[in-house]
Amino acid sequence: MRKLLCAGLMAALAPLGAETIVIRNATIMTVTKGTVKGSVVVKDGKIAEVGEKVLEPQGATIIDAAGQYVIPGIIDCHSHIAVDGGVNEGSVSVSSMVDIKDVINPEDISIYRALAGGVTTANILHGSANAIGGKTIVLKMRWGKDAQQMIFEGATPGIKFALGENPKRAGNPQGGGRGAGAQTVQARYPATRMGVEDTIREAFNEAKAYKAGWDAYDAKVAKGEHPIPPRKDLKLEALKEVLEGKRYVHAHCYRQDEILMLLRVADDYGFKIRTLQHVLEGYKVAKEIAAHGAGGSTFSDWFNYKMEAVDAIPYNAALMQKYGVVVSLNSDDAELMRHLNTEAGKAMKYGGVSESEALAMVTLNPAKQLGIDNRVGSVDVGKDADLVIYDKYPLSDYAKVQKVLIDGTVYFDRDKEVSERPAKEAQKKKLTDQEKQLQQQQRPQGGRGGRIG
Amino acid sequence: MRLLGIFAACAVLAGAASNDTFLIRDADVYPVTSAPVKGVSVLVRDGKIAEIGPKLVAPKGIKVVEAKGLRVYPGMIDSATQLGLSEVGAVRETVDTGELGELMPQLRALASVNPDSELFGVARVNGITSAMTYPSAGRGGGRGAGGAQLISGQAALIHTSGWTWEDMAVRPSAAVCVQFPNLGRGGRGSIPDDVLGMLGEAGPAGSYTQTLRTYQQQIAKLSDFFEEARRYQRVKAAHEPGFEPNLKYEAMLPVLERKTPLAVSVSSPKTIHDAIAFAEKQNVKIVILQPRDLRSAAAELKAKNVPVILGKTLALPGNEDDPYDEAFTLPEEVHKAGIKFAFGTFDNEFVRNLPYQAATAVAFGLPQEEALKAITINPAEIWGVSDQVGSIEKGKTADLVVTNGDPLEIQTQIKYLFVAGKEVSLENKQTRLYERYMKR
Amino acid sequence: MKKLVTALLLFGAFAWAESPQAVAIRNAKIVTVSGPPMAKGTVVLRDGLIEAVGENVPVPADAWVVEGEGMTVYPGLIDAMSTVGIPSLAPAPSTGAVSGRGGRGAPTTAAPTATTAAPTPRSMGPEDRPQTASWVLAADEIQPTDPRIATVRSAGFSTTVTFPERGIFGGQGSIVDLSGAEKTGEMVVVPAVGQYIALARGGFGGGMGGGFPGALMGYIAYVRQIYLDADHYKLVKEAYAKDPRGMARPQYDRALEGVLDSRRILLPANRVVEMDRMLRFAAELKQPVILYGMREGYRPEAAAVLKKYNSPVLVSLKWSEPPRDADPEQEESLRTLENIDLGPSTPGLLKKAGVPFALYADGLDQARDLQRAVKRAIDAGLSREDALRALTLAPAQIYNVADRMGSIEKGKIANLLVTKGELFDDNTRIQMIFVDGKQFKPADEAPAGGRGMTTDNPGVNQ
Repeated sequence: MRKLLCAGLMAALAPLGAETIVIRNATIMTVTKGTVKGSVVVKDGKIAEVGEKVLEPQGATIIDAAGQYVIPGIIDCHSHIAVDGGVNEGSVSVSSMVDIKDVINPEDISIYRALAGGVTTANILHGSANAIGGKTIVLKMRWGKDAQQMIFEGATPGIKFALGENPKRAGNPQGGGRGAGAQTVQARYPATRMGVEDTIREAFNEAKAYKAGWDAYDAKVAKGEHPIPPRKDLKLEALKEVLEGKRYVHAHCYRQDEILMLLRVADDYGFKIRTLQHVLEGYKVAKEIAAHGAGGSTFSDWFNYKMEAVDAIPYNAALMQKYGVVVSLNSDDAELMRHLNTEAGKAMKYGGVSESEALAMVTLNPAKQLGIDNRVGSVDVGKDADLVIYDKYPLSDYAKVQKVLIDGTVYFDRDKEVSERPAKEAQKKKLTDQEKQLQQQQRPQGGRGGRIG
Repeated sequence: MRLLGIFAACAVLAGAASNDTFLIRDADVYPVTSAPVKGVSVLVRDGKIAEIGPKLVAPKGIKVVEAKGLRVYPGMIDSATQLGLSEVGAVRETVDTGELGELMPQLRALASVNPDSELFGVARVNGITSAMTYPSAGRGGGRGAGGAQLISGQAALIHTSGWTWEDMAVRPSAAVCVQFPNLGRGGRGSIPDDVLGMLGEAGPAGSYTQTLRTYQQQIAKLSDFFEEARRYQRVKAAHEPGFEPNLKYEAMLPVLERKTPLAVSVSSPKTIHDAIAFAEKQNVKIVILQPRDLRSAAAELKAKNVPVILGKTLALPGNEDDPYDEAFTLPEEVHKAGIKFAFGTFDNEFVRNLPYQAATAVAFGLPQEEALKAITINPAEIWGVSDQVGSIEKGKTADLVVTNGDPLEIQTQIKYLFVAGKEVSLENKQTRLYERYMKR
Repeated sequence: MKKLVTALLLFGAFAWAESPQAVAIRNAKIVTVSGPPMAKGTVVLRDGLIEAVGENVPVPADAWVVEGEGMTVYPGLIDAMSTVGIPSLAPAPSTGAVSGRGGRGAPTTAAPTATTAAPTPRSMGPEDRPQTASWVLAADEIQPTDPRIATVRSAGFSTTVTFPERGIFGGQGSIVDLSGAEKTGEMVVVPAVGQYIALARGGFGGGMGGGFPGALMGYIAYVRQIYLDADHYKLVKEAYAKDPRGMARPQYDRALEGVLDSRRILLPANRVVEMDRMLRFAAELKQPVILYGMREGYRPEAAAVLKKYNSPVLVSLKWSEPPRDADPEQEESLRTLENIDLGPSTPGLLKKAGVPFALYADGLDQARDLQRAVKRAIDAGLSREDALRALTLAPAQIYNVADRMGSIEKGKIANLLVTKGELFDDNTRIQMIFVDGKQFKPADEAPAGGRGMTTDNPGVNQ
């Protein structure tokens, strides 16, 4: 009976069942109620108690966190991991008919690596190739579960917009294209920022007309009539949801002119931008952003890699917050997402953001931006037990993630994983040797690389 | 009265001329090459460290930096950047790395460095006072030579502040960059290439035998070039009439004389071994850049005393099955193997995060002192400038950073910065934008 | 004398592939699949059907007799997903890259066919119906002159389920008996068995150079939109049929007609993630589905998700091979290593889990390659009977034609395979094959898509 190693591996890393857990003797950074030196009780997937002294339920699993720190699970507001078959539907400039939810890859190792960096929830976005991109989804990093089980239940779905250089790149096939083969490409409108605005306005004009058609249909049905419904158009359906406030807009943007443009377009059509993503010049128009009510999700210290980023400053987060914008720090990168805790630390360095405010930028603030702060984002009784245990002060590069819980289940355990590495190495070696044997058998005598077709 | 005026003018002039003479008083000094000392002062005279000791008396009229409760460290050194050679990665016009041509040792990075690049201002205010800047095609910009270039030119070790590139030069030609041929293979998106191949979708192109053949041909090409350079060396030494200087071979002479090392980028055990073997055969010095996968190469690097420059500690593992902390533990692995190493960011915008790369290595096992050495004295030694920089010792150039804490901690603030013995403002484009928009 | 006559008649039988009125294969081992094998029995074929089969069946007087001593008779093999019969879909000469149709749709080497015009304008959205030919029936595209028919028949296949595998919606597949008749219509067993759908995967840029769709999610959105449009179209047509007065007439859309006509769909799925995704998608579209590919079918998660939906699947016989010429220092991922190691155990494991499945050749068209591939599955835990079933009765059941083919039973179509030796053993030779009662002798192994059509020319191989 052959051992199904993959299954074995998954099982080894699969979470223990939801149990009652006490995380004991830690320094708990709650985000909402300051820092508590004490314990957290987890029951039925939720935080049951937090305090200096807690009532430890009979039979609870004890995690001794003496000398260690607990923070809420980190929430990355901008990520492209776990997506199968391409992150951009770049063929058209309005691709709201596509949905990231359709192509979730729960077996992407990036999920596990993010988990090992303390991330428990991520906003998985379409790329930035289109002025209006595809629909987006919020996932919990429940490693080992299937695609459906990864979805953050009840989180409002989103849609990605993109402004600036990226969505107009396909309109300028000769200039600006990075490594796009030698083929002559048909230019795709728009080619300028002006065209980006036009594309968005045109799309919403269409969406308004589409909505009017459906509203008329709904009215007739309400009156007891049986009309033929209009044709359902996936592209316009998503925009209709935006107009009705049922779908959040996450807009990738850099320069202050395009940020302001989008806020005004949204005002004109009567919807809100939920978050401005990257928003590297957000500090220049922080007032307007705060007045509109959009959140800002930005990088801690990226700048200069393209023209629209030359005025990016690491004080962006601090400044936007000063003007009243809800600010989060995101990664947009599978590597950076593994140390959002230290990105939060940088907010303290640049602009004097306080410790709890900085931590909030990767926990409670992104939770608010995604509308899930009733469930996650802080160590508060009643919230999901999404918790990270660090061996040292979390807002420092000296710290390591020790354990991560999601819904009260341990999904990452560093000590356990490290102890299992030799066994995994051995399994792999065994299979590699077996394969080498198979290759030897297949190769003819003194073969030079076998049958190359 | 006039005389007083003249004296005053002289005093002012003297003061103005001596902005490279000053005293840092009462700080905790971390020399790196010796144990930290608390509550001492550092006297800098004419840009050089003159004295370190308790209760030093400042000569009249010189500037005093009150540093009680603060720390003094040597300025940090980033062993891999393209500072000054690249401004906006996505805009080719602003990028001067990656020239055309296969064998180009004569290209000098130094004289193409733009001292007014905004990136210097950003890097130095977090304590990075000098950096190696490389001419090779880097990430994001150099589309010039593509993958075919074998020798890219001469890297320079420069200060991150100065009026001109001449001003900034610490070692004008610190290494000759060699793009050793490679046998690479990558993945695509969330599914690695070999898995795609297994599923009958686009698999890895080409065969290993072909790749290996090309690889060996490229190494042979390099060998031949070195041979030609050696012949040139002999002809030149013989002082024959009608001798014509050849810029390419001239550039190779310091390499052949073992004065300047080759800086070679190789990442796997086989390529590391082949690079070392090549250097041995050619009897030249070598520094290995960004080795990722050591295995058997570790012992060889130690045995042959080859130093390495490690890339970003904060990097993803190479393969799907690799432990998630594979890159985090590499510095400790290198240190344990007894290999001399320094950190390089292989970046421009993130040079300022050099100390945090070192800190992450500490979290995963590297001893704290080693981390600090790897961004100060080690690179100074590796690049042959340890007589000038890399530690706080008498006689060295005053590249100093005064902080309110451990520079490897993110929240630590830099309070004063001294590059090449002169105080440098902690202002840069970003702080100016910050100040401006604070007032909107 | 009798022997001479028999020999002459046999020679005559080999001389040209024409169906005698009746043929009797006697004294052979008969593996019916529908029942226990017979050590010694007789099968009688007449007019393209099985007239009788059994241990003591009398040989009719007018029957041509095949002495089956030392031979075994099996039902003709059915390739559950193929392009044989449509010459323009033959794979391009191999360049060493991994080929195979499973899980990889999208126009690859297809030359322009009668159904698609030469350069098609770049698609700008689902309304352009990109890469869609859903109205096509393979039956209409079959050309009896496709050289692959003879090749594949020599490997033991009497029947293929041929699909017009082009683009996203390729059209409907047809069950085709490889009888090489002059009139294509004679070869067709069932003209329309289901809609072929393929979803390509895009890169990071997702189709910026080409048209819509570029990324996988674009393909899925497009398919979803087509079904929404089809439902709406049907609604409008029905309303218009009831009373057209005052109503704008529905615009004729043959793509939607093709989709509405299909009784089931075929979707690609190799990884467990894809199986989950495709089954959920088919359920959302309310379409009966057959998944094809199944490269990760050996994983327990695969069986679990397949059991949940209880849809039948087609397992590719092209097992993953270790790379021929790889960097010895480069480690392969555990996933790949497992796939190479455990791939052939997929059929056995699916059988154990009770998942209905069939095997398909996925381009393997040489008898030796086919036998070897099946043998590997047998060595990995699939019983011989189940292996045979997976290439005969199982595909017949999946396509609802088990009442007329897939086993040796009275009344069923006379598709038979006669071998010397047990099928799937290394040294077994195929002696002859009957398709719709017509007898063929396999040629010597010829390269795929060989030269000329009649590789079973009379007299050449005696």
